[in-house]
Amino acid sequence: MRAAPRARAAVTGLGCVTALGKTHADTWSNVYLGRSARAPLTAIETEGCRVREGAQAELPDLGGLNARQLSRLSRASRLALPALRDALHQAGLLDEHGRSRLPRFDICASTTACGMEKGEEFLRGVWSGRNVGQTTRVRHYQAQQQIREMQQFFGFAGPSMIVANACAGGGNAIGHAADLIRSGLAEAVLAGGYEALCDLVFAGFDCLQSLAPEQCRPFDTGRNGLMLGEGAAFLVIESEESAKRRGAEILGFVTGYGHGTDKGHLTQPSQDGAPLEAAMRMALKDAQTGANEIDYVNAHGTGTPLNDRAEAAAFARIFGETGARLSSTKAALGHTLGAAGAIEAVLCLLALRSGQIPPQINLQDPEPLVADALARTGERAEIKTAMSINLGFGGSTAALVLAQP
Amino acid sequence: MTLPIISSGVVCPGGFGNGALRERWRTARVSDASESHEYDVLQVDRDAPELRRWESEPRLRRASPISYYLVEAASQALEQAPHIDRGRVGVVGTFFLGCLVYTVRFYRQITSEGRRSASPVIFPETVFNSPLSHLVSVLGLGGPVYSQVGDTSCWSSALRTAQTWLARGTADHVLVIGAEEFEMHQLDAFRAGGLFRQQLNVAEGAGAVLLGRDDTAAITGIRKVHDGFSFGNSAQAAEAARQCLQCVPPNCPVMETASGWMAHIAERAAANRRKISHPAGKIPEAATASCAWNTIIAAETISGGSEQEIAVPFWGLSQQCAMAVCAAPNAVRQS
Repeated sequence: MRAAPRARAAVTGLGCVTALGKTHADTWSNVYLGRSARAPLTAIETEGCRVREGAQAELPDLGGLNARQLSRLSRASRLALPALRDALHQAGLLDEHGRSRLPRFDICASTTACGMEKGEEFLRGVWSGRNVGQTTRVRHYQAQQQIREMQQFFGFAGPSMIVANACAGGGNAIGHAADLIRSGLAEAVLAGGYEALCDLVFAGFDCLQSLAPEQCRPFDTGRNGLMLGEGAAFLVIESEESAKRRGAEILGFVTGYGHGTDKGHLTQPSQDGAPLEAAMRMALKDAQTGANEIDYVNAHGTGTPLNDRAEAAAFARIFGETGARLSSTKAALGHTLGAAGAIEAVLCLLALRSGQIPPQINLQDPEPLVADALARTGERAEIKTAMSINLGFGGSTAALVLAQP
Repeated sequence: MTLPIISSGVVCPGGFGNGALRERWRTARVSDASESHEYDVLQVDRDAPELRRWESEPRLRRASPISYYLVEAASQALEQAPHIDRGRVGVVGTFFLGCLVYTVRFYRQITSEGRRSASPVIFPETVFNSPLSHLVSVLGLGGPVYSQVGDTSCWSSALRTAQTWLARGTADHVLVIGAEEFEMHQLDAFRAGGLFRQQLNVAEGAGAVLLGRDDTAAITGIRKVHDGFSFGNSAQAAEAARQCLQCVPPNCPVMETASGWMAHIAERAAANRRKISHPAGKIPEAATASCAWNTIIAAETISGGSEQEIAVPFWGLSQQCAMAVCAAPNAVRQS
């Protein structure tokens, strides 16, 4: 049984902060030009790690906060707040003081590590017997604190849900926001994800030997790992009626959402790509869109041998004959875990609007299954409909269909 | 909103199954990690046969206690509903602290022994959604899966997620589960966060409710979820608590669920309300697990016929208040 859709989920604002830009406009121009953010990391301790490079973002200015207030914020909030400001500004929802024009929003957000560096500082404080500042560290570690800071910084309230479905969470957050709108359970939702680099997670991926020792090369036969990154992205999603009522420009629609769980293994995707394919087909069905109508697919494309093999298999079965273009922007921006799905949805929407296709960089010997589909630098085409796909630890999968207005 | 509750499951310091909520709870005197204070902590018997029966599952061999609590609580709920299609059961897990045991162990390892010594076995178990990944694999569930995190109000957002999935046909049934595992650093964190300034007993465990679309088999139902009452300090919390309770009529009884620093705020907000208490007293603080237990107690109270409707507040602990209104199936049907 499927309830009849009551509303369309319109995107009226988008924003992001990444290692290639403090705004969506900067990020987009650098991604399209084929740049990579890979560089030695300074924000976290990497001594003893096999790999010491990644995609580290430059923290944007947060006007209105003094140095003490800034020092209390987690790095996650330092990324999330400007990304949300970028989105609210574009949606015309900020007043002249930078406060929200609407008093209530739902929030659907994704993260995997929350304000982890505050938690790390707290643990080191316990072990060293250092008690000063522990209260602040405890309070600023948890995910709901970043939500609270968004609400207080911009001056709104409302229900929040934080999905922690690992690297698929950003896609889940946006898909769930669209579901809320389309079910008539919410009128306007701020949906996205945020992730800051931290010692624990970097050391975790390093010990799994998942990090690329040199450039990250998604869908290349010689790929040998991912590049960890950080960033944040948010969309303002509202019912089409709400957007029209307030005269907002509609940037695109979230028309389809598919998700599920690959039950085979905690960290390795099924090599036939079947669980991911199921999520992709679920999204197409939800969007009432045929595979041949998808013009561009932003892949999860971590650059690990197992992920890209599974993804290429799923892509080939669905889009092998359709001419859809494909790329993974993680070679440029790094893998931003809980933020990845949100950042990549923003890039899909910008591709819809500009006709520019994010290129697959760092290719030397393309994976045969998808070789013809991989986008080249400088490519342009009319993109009417795009798909963004994500997989994560625990087997989480998410697929979004995004369409031109 | 009408969310029929079909069945439930409990893992708590009193034992296993709904009846354990009325048993005497296991209490131990535990030192915090900095060895400066001791507290009474209510802990699950981790060696109990109800948990050890899952040890033979390959996915759970190296899993943390929270995964065992989740699987056992969910299994109890599913065993009471044997005829449902497990391929169409979705799961929403809610976590305040998540996989704390392995997270602390892994970070201790990389800081004391060096990053080269980090264990690739432990790290994946630190990830928030690992327990639910184990759960759906072990119990063969095929619906959508979300791990939701936050303060205790994330229990209410999980109920809304279930509502969305059921309304859109994404799942036929949804398990909503709250689970927390105790780790001694939690005591240091709670003290630093000021949570011990008022009476607060830390507990651990899990609670699960199985929700469906069809209320003919329901033991009770959730008539409405009221959420989004955000706060940033105690004054705002008082106002949020007041607004939250205003969502139900004055004659609707309110379950006593608050602990720690929210207790006196909740007490004041509900001053003129009739209170419902658990026969054994207020449920100790196991964050999202307590939310599940309180929901189950309300459901049992209603199905026992002594009340038609109960408001169950989830006072948050740091960000927002929320509330579920449980009601008898006929009351839900008429709403």
